[in-house]
Amino acid sequence: MFARKRLSSFCALLSLSCTMPVFAADPTTTDIGTLDKDAATKAFAGKRAYSPYAGRDFPTRPFFGDTHLHTSFSMDAGAFGARLGPKEAYRFAKGEEITASSGQRVKLSRPLDFMVVTDHSDGFGFFPQLIAGDPKMLAYPQGRRWYDMINSGQGADAAIEIIVSFSQGKMAEGLLPVPGTAAYRSAWRETIKAAEEANDPGRFTAFIGFEWTSNTGGNNLHRNIIWRDNGAKASLVEPFTTQKPLGSDNPRDLWKWMAATEEKTGAELLTLAHNGNLSNGRMFPIVESFTGKRIDRTYAEARTRWEPLYEVTQIKGDGETHPFLSPNDEFANFERWDKGNLDLSELKKPEMLEFEYARSALKNGLKLEKELGVNPYKFGMVGSTDSHTGLSAVEEDNFFGKTSSSEPSAERAMHPFVKTEKAVIMAWETSASGYAAVWARENTRESIFDAMKRREVYGTTGPRMIVRLFGGFDFDAKDAATRSPAIVGYTKGVPMGGDLYDAPAGKAPTFLVAALKDPIGANLDRYQIVKGWADAKGDVHEKVYDVVWSGDRKPDPRTGNLPDVGNTVDIPNATWTNSIGATELIAVWKDPDFDRAQRAFYYGRVIEIPTPRWTAYDAKYFRIKLPSEVPMTITERAYTSPIWYTPGRS
Amino acid sequence: MRILREPLAHFLVLGAALFLLFGTINRQGDREPANIVVSQAQINHLATGFARTWRRPPTAEELEGLVRDHIREEVYYREAIALGLDRDDAVIRRRLQQKLEFVSDDVASVAEPTDAELRAYLLAHGNKFRSDRRFTFSHVYLDPQRHQASIARDAADLLATVKKAGTSVDVSTVGDSFLLAHHFEEVPRSEVATLFGDKFAVTLDGLVVGEWQGPVESGYGVHLVNVSARTAPREPALDDVRDSVRREWGNAQRQQANEAFFQKLLSRYTVIVESPKLAEAQANPRAEASR
Repeated sequence: MFARKRLSSFCALLSLSCTMPVFAADPTTTDIGTLDKDAATKAFAGKRAYSPYAGRDFPTRPFFGDTHLHTSFSMDAGAFGARLGPKEAYRFAKGEEITASSGQRVKLSRPLDFMVVTDHSDGFGFFPQLIAGDPKMLAYPQGRRWYDMINSGQGADAAIEIIVSFSQGKMAEGLLPVPGTAAYRSAWRETIKAAEEANDPGRFTAFIGFEWTSNTGGNNLHRNIIWRDNGAKASLVEPFTTQKPLGSDNPRDLWKWMAATEEKTGAELLTLAHNGNLSNGRMFPIVESFTGKRIDRTYAEARTRWEPLYEVTQIKGDGETHPFLSPNDEFANFERWDKGNLDLSELKKPEMLEFEYARSALKNGLKLEKELGVNPYKFGMVGSTDSHTGLSAVEEDNFFGKTSSSEPSAERAMHPFVKTEKAVIMAWETSASGYAAVWARENTRESIFDAMKRREVYGTTGPRMIVRLFGGFDFDAKDAATRSPAIVGYTKGVPMGGDLYDAPAGKAPTFLVAALKDPIGANLDRYQIVKGWADAKGDVHEKVYDVVWSGDRKPDPRTGNLPDVGNTVDIPNATWTNSIGATELIAVWKDPDFDRAQRAFYYGRVIEIPTPRWTAYDAKYFRIKLPSEVPMTITERAYTSPIWYTPGRS
Repeated sequence: MRILREPLAHFLVLGAALFLLFGTINRQGDREPANIVVSQAQINHLATGFARTWRRPPTAEELEGLVRDHIREEVYYREAIALGLDRDDAVIRRRLQQKLEFVSDDVASVAEPTDAELRAYLLAHGNKFRSDRRFTFSHVYLDPQRHQASIARDAADLLATVKKAGTSVDVSTVGDSFLLAHHFEEVPRSEVATLFGDKFAVTLDGLVVGEWQGPVESGYGVHLVNVSARTAPREPALDDVRDSVRREWGNAQRQQANEAFFQKLLSRYTVIVESPKLAEAQANPRAEASR
């Protein structure tokens, strides 16, 4: 009964009232004594409520949102033509039809449940000020130059100059509004005000947050910071920046600032990083780029304390894994951005990849945990947009681009997104992705934040499929046949993001997995479990298992590979049919290669049938022909937070 | 053209220019010498500004210098305005426009609405605040992949079974497994549409309350549904939605006030655009089209 003893992290202390099954068959030891069937029967009068959900306080539906959206308050977004501020951004997320910066009308297929506006803390409000021709900014030759460029219609060129000079540290000191100045404070106050006004507990959650954009040398170490609390607490501080002397580009300093802010204001914060693929080997280090030394226990403790999540998929590429790291994973080559760092000032080398992608970080985390006693890379996974348009719009048929200059137009796909002498990334390579799904009990700041902290989340590349993952030692095949999988899931195991410890002798971890398609989206191809583990020597490994799939396909007896689900995409018409794939996938899976002495993690990956990519919708709408290297179909997917197995805890 | 290099010529040209400049200023300024009053409050302000920069109060000498500079700035400022030097400067013009907009914005947002005002706003914009219709319903799900071609017949059979059982049917024991709940209590229509798709919500609008019906199609497949309660969209009382009404009222008020303020200012002017086409466009603005 080890699994039941350690239910999910949030239920552990409340196990009696929370999820203790009425039909407990085996005695279960709790902090207040042993509960066996008789005692339980007495305690619950032996009769469950008619409604199977009554008295069960667990999340029954996921909330979908975006933890990463920029508005005109971000200097680069403003430079690329974004005119929508946080207020408009929240209105759009709540389902209102609005006018995009490019003048087109736009609306979401359905509202989001929550959102965080995360404008860059460096140069907060820089752009509204520059556009307004603030004399203080125009006093700087750079400021004057950009102002003139924008007013003479060269806004996009100005934008690139601004971003490059920022990321290369060549911005005149004093040109950027810094914390403590009136301009900075008013931009932060506006951000808070917009979130406070949009927040509507029970219906829509608007979090207060910002992005800390550590980008030294063009290497992306960006992180978003989210408050659990309201504006009264958030307005007691101003965001942490990367520009010295007030700020720092080292994540250790960000964590210190978060600790100090919690201490000083009584607020609760979390942070999540993104785009390790553009960090050139620095996002998940074993050797810190700042010191050249191996990371230590202090680093590991702080990282795991402050960074419960990672944004694994977004417009600037997918970050789950890379074909070089996962040569046996047939779905690994997905929306790949691996030419260099963020500004393409340095090209990618294969040895960098290990420290950039989520799966290899989760693996190295197991190794580091053995060495340091703490796993620095024990994170859950979400998707988000990182859109710089004020529009969280990443459905393939409703993709409003990375920047306002890449909102729908006949030309947008064939513009270079970043171009240097070394390489070029084309706009068609931007990925219409993703959203964060959170298993929270209610749609409030507190409930969603707490679910994020316990990592009960998953990320999707845009669709809103519903995905469950429960781990325990006692799931069996008939649990997959129950009509309410969630009840048995929470009762016999832990949800995604949770922990399993010390397998009982002769038992291996079992998983109850389930997925339901997006009600207006495509059918599902398969549900896979990705396992990573560290062996006795400390070497790490990975394997992808097909757990449940649509139709009656049989894995190839020699390779074990499942045949393709097929493809119904009609590219010229940008349509597909749900004549293949499954509406719902559900199964129980037992790890066939388990060694109870080895640390491991397991996460779910749900693959949709192929559908038209945003480029196909563009080609059809604008009647254009795109070059053959532009992909026109996509297999959308969802990634769950892992469940970790740790031996030797008791 | 040696003469251009002669110092005397320079002297004469400069002299003439200065004479003209003074002439202009004097013509405007056939007035009593104006006062420049440096009040104690302004002196304090200058001293505070100095202290903020240098982290110490100014010495007596420095304070004298500050006042002297201030007088100089004031003189130049007044004369520059009098000469209209602000008029052709885009930065100053836009900055002043912005300052005035801030003022009118602030004025508009100061006023707190009365209950009567809020009630009137609520009445006029009821659809913005109307609470969603709510459904209480149970459903049984049939997975299309499991039933394939027989799904219509299976649904009909199952419908007969649950109809016979009536209210005593335990929905957690029939039909196929389903990842969302089988029973929903007072769910807003918008959430039904989000969870099951629009079509499903539309069908639920029209079902007879209190009996098992189906098949009802959703984004997932086929359902048998028993709607036990359905509330009409409700006109909310002010107290239920006071915060959102106040927010929307404030927003509208601010927009109105700013526009009224501008129109009032505009009415002080007769605008002449020296291009017939553009003049007409200005007179008949395409009101909503461009917004």
